[in-house]
Amino acid sequence: MSNSSRFETNKICCYAHPDAPLIEDYRAGDQICSECGLVVGDRVIDVGSEWRTFSNEKAGNDPSRVGGPENPLLNGSDLSTMIGPGRGDASFDSFGVSKYQNRRTMSSSDRALINAFREINSMADRINLPKTIVDRANNLFKQVHDGKNLKGRANDAIASACLYIACRQEGVPRTFKEICAVSKISKKEIGRCFKLILKALETSVDLITTGDFMSRFCSNLGLPNMVQRAATHIARKAVELDIVPGRSPISVAAAAIYMASQASEDKRSQKEIGDIAGVADVTIRQSYKLMYPHAVKLFPEDFKFATPIDQLPQM
Amino acid sequence: MATAIQENGINSLSNGNLSHKVDEQNSSSPSEQSESIVKSEETTADNSETPEIDIVINNVVCSFSVRCHLNLRQIALHGSNVEYRRENGMITMKLRKPYTTASMWSSGKITCTGATSEPQAKVAARRYARCLQKLGFKTKFNNFRVVNVLGTCSMPFAIKITAFSERFKEHAEYEPELHPGVTYKLYNPKATLKIFSTGSITVTAPSVADVQAAIEHIFPLVYEFRKERTKEDILALQLKQRGVKRKRSFTHIDIEEQDYEEHFGDTSDEENYGSDESWD
Repeated sequence: MSNSSRFETNKICCYAHPDAPLIEDYRAGDQICSECGLVVGDRVIDVGSEWRTFSNEKAGNDPSRVGGPENPLLNGSDLSTMIGPGRGDASFDSFGVSKYQNRRTMSSSDRALINAFREINSMADRINLPKTIVDRANNLFKQVHDGKNLKGRANDAIASACLYIACRQEGVPRTFKEICAVSKISKKEIGRCFKLILKALETSVDLITTGDFMSRFCSNLGLPNMVQRAATHIARKAVELDIVPGRSPISVAAAAIYMASQASEDKRSQKEIGDIAGVADVTIRQSYKLMYPHAVKLFPEDFKFATPIDQLPQM
Repeated sequence: MATAIQENGINSLSNGNLSHKVDEQNSSSPSEQSESIVKSEETTADNSETPEIDIVINNVVCSFSVRCHLNLRQIALHGSNVEYRRENGMITMKLRKPYTTASMWSSGKITCTGATSEPQAKVAARRYARCLQKLGFKTKFNNFRVVNVLGTCSMPFAIKITAFSERFKEHAEYEPELHPGVTYKLYNPKATLKIFSTGSITVTAPSVADVQAAIEHIFPLVYEFRKERTKEDILALQLKQRGVKRKRSFTHIDIEEQDYEEHFGDTSDEENYGSDESWD
């Protein structure tokens, strides 16, 4: 165990490999060098949270456990104590009303934050978003909340916009309509908050592409992998050749899926695709009309046509 | 690739729109109309074929004060062409001659919108003040300023807006789900431009000169991302222009005429099916 006072290194490191990261083994309480396996620190006390939760009816009321993990990044970390609900006879006064009712003002400054996090969590849960996106959205909300220039806006709107931005930043964008479906805020308001947040945090996001949505739309429609790959290729080629100028990438993606599905065995109607993608079927029709004349160039070379190109619907 | 631009005054097009002729030739022909803003601005043109862009001013919003308290109820009862909305607390008055709409508050502040040029806006503002004077208020004409000017223009080429928005990430904002155009914010003439893939650009700026300066500024940037218009695009543009003019005389859309045009191209004389309007 070498204790060095140089700035760049950790205080504890393996003497043979000072640059190797140390791996912590919680079960034994060791810190192990990742290069040679030398146990560097021992009897390290575990400061992590209780990770075993018993699922009985009185979940959360078990007084012998320390409770859930703190949310240190996102809350005031005020280390306040809450008065728990009373049990036993002493905590009820003569009318049967519980004494010590003070559970309300636990952290008034962060009440909005906690509500928003709960809202983000429930929204993300409805569309099955992973925890990384939820965490990123929470972080964004915290930053926006601290900045205070969007203070007048509804917290739910800001939460929805943060969720949208988090999905974009993680590289798996969701359309505004998909976020609308799990939120009670209108698309217009989410769009406005989105622009305001980008300005407030001074970030920017990448442009959406057609390929980001292909796998989701195709699997929701139950299309096989071949059709999905063909649709991705068609949409990408259409944007490259710029035959659909000014059309939203979602509409182009929907029209590409339509074209690919009509050329294969699993045909889908424009209405079904419009339902899944959140575009009107006339919009799909418009984009399809632009893409149809160039159909030969758009399909991939190794595509097996169940319906040849000249028999594709012209609508 | 900058354009040399000089204003020649206002020529009125036959569809009733006024346009500033933005011309790169240095001809300084005197304008017949009295309402003309003659300013000459030249930027050096590198190539000989500098194009001509028409900037059409669609809306001028101005604001002024009459410096006396207005009794909105009295105006609503005795004025003509007024509308009083109590929940907003303002009067809306419309004028026929410069076709404008004014919002008036009881403090005496008035916002006038709908004018198509700055002098017109001033005339309209004075007319509103005069109208209020006739209703019995001691009005003065104070603090007239043009707040916002909306102008549109159309480039002779189409624009690749995706590439454009990637190149100018600091100023441009493009969200295809929210709006089909790129919003480009300029800071030195303070202006907001909306650039569409068809080549049309709308500019909102605090004054007409700023609109012009903004277009001059954006032209070389947009020229870099030009895309030649295909035949279908040109046809679609012509159809749209004709469709706008046709809406005034016909009550239905003639599908046969559109097909006719698609097949036979530009046959403007033959399509004059008894309409009194003259094409340009």
